[in-house]
Amino acid sequence: MRHPKRIGRMSAPGRKVRLASAAMLLVATTMTACGEGKDDGEKASAPKAPATIPELTKDPLTLSFIWFDWPPAKALEAFANAEYKKERPNATIKVNTVPNANWHDAMFTQFAARKTDFDIAILDSQHIGEAVTNGNILDLTDFVKENIDVAAYNPYLLAAYGQFPQAETGKRDENASLYGLPLLGDTWTMIYRKDLIGDKPPQTWDQMIAAAEKCQADNPGVSGLAFHQANGSDAAAVTYNTVNGVYGGNLWDSKTRKIDGVINDAAGQEAMDVLVNKMKPLTAKGSGNWFIDEVNAAVAQGKACIAFNWIAASGGLLDPKQSTLGTSREQILDKLGFATLPSQKTNLVPLGGMGMHVSAYSATANQTEALNFMKWFERADIQKKWAAAGGVPSRTDALESPEFLNAGPFNQVYTDSVPRMRDMWNVPEYARLVDIENTNVNAALNGAKKPKDALDDIAKEQQGVLDSSSRKGGGGL
Amino acid sequence: MAFISPAMLLLLAMSVFPLLWALYLSFTDYSATRGGPANFIGFGNYTAILTSAQVHTRALTTLIYVVGAVGLQTVLGFGIAYLISRRTHGRGVLTTLFLVPMMLSPVVVGLFWRFMLDAQFGVVNSMLGSVGLGQVEWLTRQRTALLSLIVVDTWQWTPFIMLIALAGLTAVPKYLYEAASIDRASEWFRFRTITLPLVWPLLLIAVMFRAIEAFRLFDLVYILTNGGPGVSTETLSFHIYKVAFLGFNTGTASAYGILMVLVVIVLTQFYLRYLNKLKEG
Repeated sequence: MRHPKRIGRMSAPGRKVRLASAAMLLVATTMTACGEGKDDGEKASAPKAPATIPELTKDPLTLSFIWFDWPPAKALEAFANAEYKKERPNATIKVNTVPNANWHDAMFTQFAARKTDFDIAILDSQHIGEAVTNGNILDLTDFVKENIDVAAYNPYLLAAYGQFPQAETGKRDENASLYGLPLLGDTWTMIYRKDLIGDKPPQTWDQMIAAAEKCQADNPGVSGLAFHQANGSDAAAVTYNTVNGVYGGNLWDSKTRKIDGVINDAAGQEAMDVLVNKMKPLTAKGSGNWFIDEVNAAVAQGKACIAFNWIAASGGLLDPKQSTLGTSREQILDKLGFATLPSQKTNLVPLGGMGMHVSAYSATANQTEALNFMKWFERADIQKKWAAAGGVPSRTDALESPEFLNAGPFNQVYTDSVPRMRDMWNVPEYARLVDIENTNVNAALNGAKKPKDALDDIAKEQQGVLDSSSRKGGGGL
Repeated sequence: MAFISPAMLLLLAMSVFPLLWALYLSFTDYSATRGGPANFIGFGNYTAILTSAQVHTRALTTLIYVVGAVGLQTVLGFGIAYLISRRTHGRGVLTTLFLVPMMLSPVVVGLFWRFMLDAQFGVVNSMLGSVGLGQVEWLTRQRTALLSLIVVDTWQWTPFIMLIALAGLTAVPKYLYEAASIDRASEWFRFRTITLPLVWPLLLIAVMFRAIEAFRLFDLVYILTNGGPGVSTETLSFHIYKVAFLGFNTGTASAYGILMVLVVIVLTQFYLRYLNKLKEG
């Protein structure tokens, strides 16, 4: 049965108008989105920060950071609000945090939207290339020349947290541009049980493995080693890179952008063999997904003879509330020792820590405040105060100051490690390179791949990423 | 029309436009972070995805997962529903209790199962140890990691199948059973010839919903295994996430997503045709 007239149904011209409006809305939205794409193309390089800091606002202002959730983030917020406010009472510091695994995504999805809810991004050194190439952070070269005493730093530290293109290990290219300034230095420390393996830490990697082996045999229920093995963040990759460096390997040839044949050369293979066949058997069962917290938990519960962890994440080990090793800091320190990493064919250690980088999409007043904050933070007196507050500074005078060296038992380890540091790649493809390495090293550590196959796959896949710029389609697979 | 136009506009802006936009991007090499123009590359992304060994590996993992999880959920869900339907007392309480896992966020479920399955201090290994069995590396070995995902998903989503099956079982006319009893039909005969054929179409719809859900699994993988060990528990959705947000290869990720939608649509069509045939039969 047909209804000649339906209640509420529009006449044909009315329907057409509505449909045309909907179509126009769709087209307009599409055009807007397309238009944004064109703008992107015009902003492909990092905008420059002014050499001198413009006039600061007198209005109340919140300077927002983005970092991942860990104790230094809380320490930074507390420190900055206590100290920076003395000079800039109208400024409030807010350190927004996300879980470590989401850190890269949280920053770069906002960068992709060309709108950020943070003014200062705390980037890992390896993120710099991606952010610079995409024009996400300010070029601070002129600002640094005018406002920062670059001679006060170990040149490589300054380069690692700011320079792009990447510096050669141990050096800084004074002609290269700087896009960030150091916020928190970091490296791995070897944490060892003095009561189980003796007061003197092993000096070579071989000695370290032998000590862990003996300790594990002598102490049932305690594993010889604990280190990062997870396939999230850069966990397993940093572990392999550390052993690779110690055994004389290289991650790549930065000049020729060659990875295949470099990371999987004889030294690289030896490093992978040591990691999987000598170190892994000394770890706890099921530790194949351990990262910072799990390693700390194993040490705090007395379940590991020797462990490796980032210095900046080691403070909790001295907290009696979190430890079964003693009821006071002193008792814990009777059992725990902190030392620089053992050497073998080289004495390289991994460079950790992060720098401060100004978002290109932040409001001008906030960018100005961010520059002022960075200038303030890099002052000699503030760096020492940051050290006393539990931070790891980067200026040499602060690193050698009693404020820093007396603040924690692992701080001397950091100061001694600075000349030995090596970083990963900071190219725009970093996120994919580290994922390839993480998943393959994790596979080798957990028996899903043979060590040699894993290393060859890393080399092949990473090389594929670096060579994929001319590929038509399928980028990212 | 005027009445529904706000909803239509919302649908256009939030659903139709993103889909069309993703479809457009899937034919380009666009990257959300690199910016620059979106160059048209034809079917380049689609060819690369369909011929990629990495994608084939993830597709196989996803297939094993979907078959394993949905199969187990169907058997358990129907079994539980069958047992509950035969009870006269406490049916409501039992049904509510069984539904609790389904009401939890997958992220919360993932987090507490991650603790429970921990090889060192997890309650599962502790229980195994108390009956003399050794430690199992649930989340860090290739086979057990995928099995763990299936078990956790089954724990959470069996109630869904159970609920639908229970609705079907309740709707079976009592007189059919009474007639069968008069004919002295056995329990198994009644189940095979009355219960199962009448509940089957409803059960298949539940299976379809679950299969679509399982096909795009992301959250449990992200929390429990992060795709490991290696990439052995990386599902297609997890892989898309990596393509989209690690390398920000937006064009490839869009094509990947469109292909997944197509797979679901095509399989669902076959499935619905089968259901219709069943109904006609």
